[in-house]
Amino acid sequence: MSAIPHAAAPHAGTADLGTIDLSSSDAVPMSRLARVELRKALDTRAGRWFTIAILVLVLAVQVIYAFAAPEDALAYGDFLGVAGGVLGYFMPILIIMLVTSEASQRNGLVTFTLEPRRSRVVVAKFLAGFALAIAVMVLAALIAVVGTLIGIATGAEAQWSVDGNLLFNGFVLANVIGVLIGFAIATLLMNTPAAIVGYFVYSLILPIAVGILGSLSSGFADVAPWIEFNTAQTPLFMGDYTPTGEEWAQIATSGLIWLVLPLALGIARLMRIEFK
Amino acid sequence: MIRVTALTKSYGHFTAVDDVSFEARPGRVTGFLGPNGAGKTTTMRVMVGLTTATSGEVTIGGHHYRDIPNPGRHVGVLLDASAQHAGRTGREILSLGAETMGLPSSRVDEMLELVSLDARESKRRLRNYSLGMKQRLGIAHALLGDPSVLILDEPANGLDPAGIRWMRGLLKGYADRGGTVLLSSHLLNEVELIADEMVLIGHGRIVAQGTKEELLAGADHRSTHATSLDNAQLARVLTERGHAVVAAGQGLRVEAAPVEIGRAAAEHSIVLTDLRAAEGGLEDLFLSLTSDTQRDVLEGAAS
Repeated sequence: MSAIPHAAAPHAGTADLGTIDLSSSDAVPMSRLARVELRKALDTRAGRWFTIAILVLVLAVQVIYAFAAPEDALAYGDFLGVAGGVLGYFMPILIIMLVTSEASQRNGLVTFTLEPRRSRVVVAKFLAGFALAIAVMVLAALIAVVGTLIGIATGAEAQWSVDGNLLFNGFVLANVIGVLIGFAIATLLMNTPAAIVGYFVYSLILPIAVGILGSLSSGFADVAPWIEFNTAQTPLFMGDYTPTGEEWAQIATSGLIWLVLPLALGIARLMRIEFK
Repeated sequence: MIRVTALTKSYGHFTAVDDVSFEARPGRVTGFLGPNGAGKTTTMRVMVGLTTATSGEVTIGGHHYRDIPNPGRHVGVLLDASAQHAGRTGREILSLGAETMGLPSSRVDEMLELVSLDARESKRRLRNYSLGMKQRLGIAHALLGDPSVLILDEPANGLDPAGIRWMRGLLKGYADRGGTVLLSSHLLNEVELIADEMVLIGHGRIVAQGTKEELLAGADHRSTHATSLDNAQLARVLTERGHAVVAAGQGLRVEAAPVEIGRAAAEHSIVLTDLRAAEGGLEDLFLSLTSDTQRDVLEGAAS
């Protein structure tokens, strides 16, 4: 077997005593772990095409919006808000796929063997998830430029100024929360289909249920934003994009229930789960 | 070297691994043998930190696996060749490993060549791989980081006979260069061909360990396969000498050491065409040692 490169020539000195000398071994740098995680998010058809599909969907919605929206709502800020709304729905799924594939596709066996300090893998996943989210947000913001140009071409007045609150609260903060929600659901369920279903129950069915209950009982309608995270986030992308002090408090309390607590439990689970 | 010390792993009331201790030494291929569900995989998972032990410990080269920085560079692991994203190509799977370990991409090509996966196969997605191809890819992944210790769970599973011969050559060569190899199997024949030492496990407990010779030394009853130009006379002669003889295939199976048959044949001028110790010894030993843990009651063992 001349084909065994220096593969099978184990490090000198280890053969005698059977001890491994670790003095010249460095841990895998975090930057490398994060880069590998980012690569894993995009190197499968599922990951790559889902990312592309989100961006195509953003573009399609922008084009439809450019023709359908009233003339006084065709400023760049309007298009950015629409793009942020589309991203907000689908970005968490991108994160869910990134995290749950470790268990559903079982490659976690290799991931956590190559880096047995699981907390480092968790940090790397967060870094990769946010890098991906930022890249998608930047691309969506660029697509919103295209949408605005189409709007101008159809006769709208060119308006490029963007409300800072819209940009930060409605676009960046809302999507960052979405990414964290994705992490929370993914780590809690650690199963791709279950997590995606769970996410849609959380993001679509839960607010509707709360809305119905709220219409039946005004008392519940007052309580709802304090305990339902979607409802609480509404001020981020409505009106002047600036929640009041009370609304921030609602975001904080409902976020504690639906984001902080699940995320803490999920990460704790990921640290202990047996990857089979 | 891998050292397992008093390792126990319980799931509730079920004890998967029960006070297991053994060593896998450098320069040797150690076979970890036992029926399905005997605790082999659990033991190996504890070795690499995927499962936490209830008590006891495992050290690899004197360290706990978790304390080894960039462990892929020291310990090559193959626990389940199918445990990879089905949508990734073989090359991509190796590339991710190489990037994590900080290896150049040329290493990926070297490993693909080593396990005889050609350029076209390496570009196929894992879901289109046969089990044998997955095993080759898994072995390539385990060897990526040029480790000094190899931990392989059922690596021969799914390989064809030529593939098993290839792996035997690979692992023997690796051990001859001073590497430590621990491989598990539920098939005695596989391990017998490849391993220098064996650790037999049944029901979570070590039932025997040692070299093949040491293990056989305990079993005093020997049997031999013999074929001659006149099997009828050979059988008569041997029966007269008090050896049990039964027809087996083209020849005879005799409950005696090969030397006894040779002597008898020489005295009666019978031409032997084949004479060898029956390999049943180790298999009988394996089955008897693990018999109370077998799921299927064996014919003969029951009577």
